[in-house]
Amino acid sequence: MTDHFEDPLQTFIAESRELLQQMEDALLEVEGNADDPETINAIFRAAHTIKGSAGLFSLDHIVAFTHVAESVLDRIRAHQLAFEPAFGALFLEVCDQLGALIDGLAAGEAPDDAISARSTALTARLQAVLDRGATPGAQSAGTDAAVAGNPAEHLMAAGADTVASGLWHVSMRPGADLLRNGMDPLSILNYLGTLGEIVSLETVIGGVPPLSALDPETCYLGFDLSFASQADAATVNGAFDFVREDSLVRIIPPYGPLDDYRALVRDLPDDKLLLGEMLVRCGSLTADELALALRTQEARAEACQITGELPPLIGEVLVEQQLVDAPLVDAALDHQQEARKARAGEPTLIRVDAAKLDQLINLVGELIIAGAGAQLVARRVKVPALVEATGVLSRLVEDVRDSALNLRMVQIGATFSRFRRVVRDVAAELGKDIQLDIRGGETELDKTVVEKIGDPLTHIVRNALDHGIEPADVRAARGKPRQGRLSLNAYHESGSIVIEVSDDGGGLRKERILQKAVERGLVGEGQVLSDKEIFGLVFEPGFSTAAQVSNLSGRGVGMDVVKRNILALRGTVDLDSVEGQGTTVRLRLPLTLAIIEGFLIGAGSASYVVPLEQVLECIELPEKDKPEQGASYLNLRGEVLPFVRLRDLFDIPGEAPRRENVVVVQYAGERAGLVVDQLFGEFQTVIKPLGKVFSHIRCIGGSTILGSGEVALILDVPGLVRQVTERQPVSRHLSSTLSAA
Amino acid sequence: MAKTILIVDDSASLRQVVAIALRGAGYEVLEGCDGRDALGKLDGRKVHLIISDVNMPNMDGISFVKAVKQLPAYRFTPVIMLTTEAGEDKKREGQAAGAKAWVVKPFQPQQMLGAVAKLVLP
Repeated sequence: MTDHFEDPLQTFIAESRELLQQMEDALLEVEGNADDPETINAIFRAAHTIKGSAGLFSLDHIVAFTHVAESVLDRIRAHQLAFEPAFGALFLEVCDQLGALIDGLAAGEAPDDAISARSTALTARLQAVLDRGATPGAQSAGTDAAVAGNPAEHLMAAGADTVASGLWHVSMRPGADLLRNGMDPLSILNYLGTLGEIVSLETVIGGVPPLSALDPETCYLGFDLSFASQADAATVNGAFDFVREDSLVRIIPPYGPLDDYRALVRDLPDDKLLLGEMLVRCGSLTADELALALRTQEARAEACQITGELPPLIGEVLVEQQLVDAPLVDAALDHQQEARKARAGEPTLIRVDAAKLDQLINLVGELIIAGAGAQLVARRVKVPALVEATGVLSRLVEDVRDSALNLRMVQIGATFSRFRRVVRDVAAELGKDIQLDIRGGETELDKTVVEKIGDPLTHIVRNALDHGIEPADVRAARGKPRQGRLSLNAYHESGSIVIEVSDDGGGLRKERILQKAVERGLVGEGQVLSDKEIFGLVFEPGFSTAAQVSNLSGRGVGMDVVKRNILALRGTVDLDSVEGQGTTVRLRLPLTLAIIEGFLIGAGSASYVVPLEQVLECIELPEKDKPEQGASYLNLRGEVLPFVRLRDLFDIPGEAPRRENVVVVQYAGERAGLVVDQLFGEFQTVIKPLGKVFSHIRCIGGSTILGSGEVALILDVPGLVRQVTERQPVSRHLSSTLSAA
Repeated sequence: MAKTILIVDDSASLRQVVAIALRGAGYEVLEGCDGRDALGKLDGRKVHLIISDVNMPNMDGISFVKAVKQLPAYRFTPVIMLTTEAGEDKKREGQAAGAKAWVVKPFQPQQMLGAVAKLVLP
């Protein structure tokens, strides 16, 4: 059959060109005489016929385009819309466009972008005319039509789905005029025969009159039949579509596969909550049967109003009328209950402009500073009532802050999910078989952070796909599963969010990195480095060990950019790798960028803030334990604790007080002690970023304003810990730069 | 003996495609390019089903069906009307005239075969 399709298509092309010519002629004619209904009808018919035939050839782009034009013309034809002079030009363009589409078809080409764009533009203009001319009446006609389009569609397209086995019971009482309408009950029985097997058929002859009164054109017979079929309810019902209007048809679906239906009901999405709709969706009830049952229920309810009885429930009506089996109704009701429960727990969402949220956060920041100021004043004047009042106030402010920050928290899952596509595409491009595992998608972090980690994360993932995971053959040779595995994981850890990208690929080769670093002069010959330091080299600018530069990565840009981006978010990035087993890149990011719970400390005349979540403990530094000058380790309950004096670090002049304190901070598993003069306690801090001038300074993460109006510097604990544990010299210019600021 | 179906539509390509599909399924097919032309084809030979478009030049589908219902030899012949999504009124008009079955345009040949099978098996 398809062999012959070439010919009808040629007919269609020729016919369409002819129709377009007629349409154009009619359009030119109508410019002078807009009132002639036959001319308008000719234009409509051209569009209508082209659309109808294009549908047969599945030329959806032509159907879609012609449809809007046809709708406008239909309005004009029905006098719902006047034929404006401008329409002439518009429809001539439509005509030309259709011509172009047909020409493309004749040339065997798919429409190119320019043609598609013109279609879209014209469609929009036509749609605008439709919208403008839309009257309430016309609109409802439109919806009617949409509904009307459905039954034919589903009754003809359905049939592939099989939901049931067992016997259907069909009871049919044809209307008297059925035969006169050209419908033969026998043809329906024949059609049912194509859907399955009619197991038993009983003819109801009660209505047949005595021979003298018998009209041979009238249908008196009725049929009750049992029918075995794998077809679904919609298909079986479809058989009676053309006779339903004149006849009484009742279809009882098979009872056998109740469990199937139950399973179907359970698997229904939770959005459909009406019992009847659920049953229709799972195929055990048809829309018509439901409508019938609803009418019965309504009638019964009216009757009950008079008698004072409780009106029947729809489930009861359905069971009573043998439309649905009782256990199935129960199953549907159970599902409904569960869905309602789930719905109750489901949050309702409002979309809010992110800028408004940012403004709120700023205001909350100011509120915190003002609150801290008030508390300070209260403590100074020592009025107990005032101290208490400000205490309550600051607690509330804290709650407000948490709620406000929470508003900006989003789950990282959406960001992770984007990588499914990336992994799929990149893996296909590289010819590798790679599976992506996602864990911790529900972990929340600040929206701003989420937005900014997309790019670095993509870099890391692409690196892992390209260089990390080996081709399947290599993997097989190394005794690994052929399918590579990349996992994305997120979790919270001491006030940060940790995002891990791990692969089970070849891992990093330390000697190669080291060799390259020596070549580049990053590391001196013979220098001994720890694993961490070696892996850290990967993040140096212009460092790439990939033997081949591929399309995806390996150009030596990437990891250093990643690191810069992450540092800009006050985060850190580190890397673990075991040669032959895989690599894990770990990003640590602050949960939020705006406000932190801080711990206020003093050294010299200045105040500093340490993020509270990174403070492990505070201890007094006893005179006897004081380390010797120049020492860099403390004895903390028998453990070695590297430390640094803030006075030394920031080059603060003057003598240290007799009693000093140690703040033990922790970051990424490493601990360090900060020796300070004074401890001031917990303090809410709004982070104000430092200007670009200070961007080179390590160990300072930002600044904040204290209640008193003074500025305090926020210590960058990750930087400090690294500094202390690695013992690298700090910029001596720091304090002078800061005082100059 | 194969059942005969008369397809009436002003689009030659539509008639052609439907005819190919119907012949493929084992029916015999007659074609009419509008109502007036189709009435001429109803010359006494047995026709088991008529498929007719609504909007046609010379004689439209509704008038055609009404005329068919006046012909003694053909008044019991089932008619499938080809309606459009926006043709709800036309559909009612057609049903009143005696065309009880319908297929919504645009349709696929397979859909047409499904509708035809409900009325006449080959």
